[in-house]
Amino acid sequence: MSLKSNPDRWGVTNLRLAFPKKQNMFFKDLTFHYQKGEKILLLGPSGSGKSTLLQVLSGLVPKSIELPMKTDKLSVPESWGFIFQDPDTQFCMPYADEEIAFVLENRRIPREDMARLIRHYLQMAGLSFANPHQLISSLSGGMKQRLATASILALEPDILFLDEPTALLDPAGTEQLWQTVQRIGKDRTVLIVEHKIDQVLDFVERIVLFDDSGRIIADGPKSDVLHHHKKELDDYGIWYPGVWHAFEKKNPGNHSKNSMAAKPLLELDDFHVFRDRQVKFSLSHLIIHEGEWVAIIGENGAGKSTMVEGIMGLVRHRGKVHWHLKNPADEVAFVFQNPEYQFVTDRVDDELGFNLVLKKRNRDEINERVDQTLTQFSLSNQRLQHPFQLSVGQKRRLSVASSLIDNPKAVILDEPTFGQDARNTFALLDLFQKLRQKGTTVLMITHEMEVVRHFATRVLRIEKGRLVEDFLQVPDNDGKGGVNGHALDEHGQAVFQNQSFL
Amino acid sequence: MVTLWTNTDRLFFKINPSFKFLISVSLFVVYLVVHNLNSMIWATVLFIVLFLLVNGFSGRFSFWIVLLTLIVSMFSAGAMILFGQGTHVLFHWYLIEITEEGLARGILIGLRTFIFSIIGMIMASTTLPVPFFYSLMQQLKVPVRYAYGCLAAFRMLPMMSEEFVHVRQAMVVRGMTRKKGVRALYDRTKRYALTMLAQSIRRAQRTAVAMEAKRFSMTETRTYYYEIGWSRYDLYFLALILCTVAFGFLLSNWMPLTPFTNVIDN
Repeated sequence: MSLKSNPDRWGVTNLRLAFPKKQNMFFKDLTFHYQKGEKILLLGPSGSGKSTLLQVLSGLVPKSIELPMKTDKLSVPESWGFIFQDPDTQFCMPYADEEIAFVLENRRIPREDMARLIRHYLQMAGLSFANPHQLISSLSGGMKQRLATASILALEPDILFLDEPTALLDPAGTEQLWQTVQRIGKDRTVLIVEHKIDQVLDFVERIVLFDDSGRIIADGPKSDVLHHHKKELDDYGIWYPGVWHAFEKKNPGNHSKNSMAAKPLLELDDFHVFRDRQVKFSLSHLIIHEGEWVAIIGENGAGKSTMVEGIMGLVRHRGKVHWHLKNPADEVAFVFQNPEYQFVTDRVDDELGFNLVLKKRNRDEINERVDQTLTQFSLSNQRLQHPFQLSVGQKRRLSVASSLIDNPKAVILDEPTFGQDARNTFALLDLFQKLRQKGTTVLMITHEMEVVRHFATRVLRIEKGRLVEDFLQVPDNDGKGGVNGHALDEHGQAVFQNQSFL
Repeated sequence: MVTLWTNTDRLFFKINPSFKFLISVSLFVVYLVVHNLNSMIWATVLFIVLFLLVNGFSGRFSFWIVLLTLIVSMFSAGAMILFGQGTHVLFHWYLIEITEEGLARGILIGLRTFIFSIIGMIMASTTLPVPFFYSLMQQLKVPVRYAYGCLAAFRMLPMMSEEFVHVRQAMVVRGMTRKKGVRALYDRTKRYALTMLAQSIRRAQRTAVAMEAKRFSMTETRTYYYEIGWSRYDLYFLALILCTVAFGFLLSNWMPLTPFTNVIDN
């Protein structure tokens, strides 16, 4: 695949672009160029147009995504591959081999070569199936993203565009994907948009930093940009190495160890949860006490969600679930992983008031509480919008706010900080902590070992549908882990490994 | 989704899907013009037997499918039976008038619905989506954009059913299910529709972009991972279907179960 003009340099000069139903042009004469072999990281707050720029550079905008745009000069490479954020929507075939074959068919590779090439690309992406005819829906998120990588490799691309490929992956999946990208990206040009940058930093050389309005405010070698723009990184909610450290300085975390003498809140006895008629989680005995912050940890598919859904009575279960509360249905809140599922009204303020209306509170009280909550969660400007129109962070805040508006006695959260930027994550954690101080018990599924270390007073580890570890800890902010921190260290370490850059 | 088909190595899976599709369509036409109740009854019996012999679904699932289509067919028969015109009145009560002729016509229509579903099920239960669409592209020259578009849509069905479960759980948690009445039912239905539509549209758009990013081109020629060809099984299939149809008509001549040989004339 040869290129006609200036073979090793691509980019855009004076880009202007408009989003539908927006008054102003988004980029104002943005110019960005890159060369063969460069490894570039694009950073900026969400909504700063990094992903759009990536799509312009690859030619997806305006060819596949029609947006009105104007440039003085745009040179799009001929041979590129694009990895998107959502692992579920990148495939059009049911089986892994068929998906790669789809790309090979597009390239008009003879049929006889396909089986061999499919194995080859799967292996390059770090997927070694005994039989490549593997149902895609049976793969984990991380494996799906590596399959997406394999299918992109089948294009034999010179340039890789990665648009937050790990935003929806757990830590293990994230690490494996970056290992794969590093391996295959060595001889290629790579452009990455990413919020969680600690594992990417080793690999990239150049960082481009965007502000809220899509302007480039810094562009240069990574050490320079990271050094001179730490404030912006904080403001934009980027997960740079050491961001936890900065947060922990501001927020002392939970220091009071919960005494076992506290009143029991939830009792589980001989508790089994079923999915498709099979026991997917079982537990002989567990008591959660008032005022605890319980972190539920474990690998994907271990049964964490099954456990809490069983506790909430959302899936079939057997055994004793007893809340020491008058009316558990009203006093226990549950926050889903995907906020959009739990929106039940068409306006942000109705959404917040929904629970109170259901409990037949009087109108004035509801209005007052809604106003208060809107301010507290900085959603005042969005009060008349439809919940679906909000940004990712706002949606999450709204889902949490609407569950917590009536000060429940306990709240169960399914990965509340998942896919959120650093700024949102910290704001949420501050909030949960305030709630706990007011007496709410927090049960939280999380993969974020920093949250566990810093906030949890009790840790439950789930493995293969069973509770394998249950210990109390004094949450800690000196970076050394808890009392029984052995379980945390082995998992928590990856997050800080590149701290030397700062 | 794919786990629906339990025995994929059975005979009918080896037939060229386009051929199977065309034969099914022509069977629809054949039974559309049959007005002899006896032929319809025998054909129904034979096709149920055929379905039970060849289908690739699990026994339990096929049982429920047959039962469900039977109930639906009874509904379509119902109107004709209860209000049909005719001279030999069997039962009369206000507006309802059951006549012999009406009954015969009703049963014929019911059986027609039923036999259409059974033929459709024979097709659906022995055809995997991927070979089907590959065959449509290769034998019937269906444009690639429709074929791959449908395949991508197939992938989304299980995601949607999962999503439905999540939305239902969320409604329980938020207390939507505690409200009773028509208004609440309307609200819930609207919520399901809106949430799932929004998600599906977004998903479809993302998938389309991802497919184009993989250089999917709607016009240029392409090679195929699966070559769907012809085999002797196609002949077996044709012979089997022809026999079934012919046997049905013959049996209705040899052993007419009812006097209604043409329900239109009576």
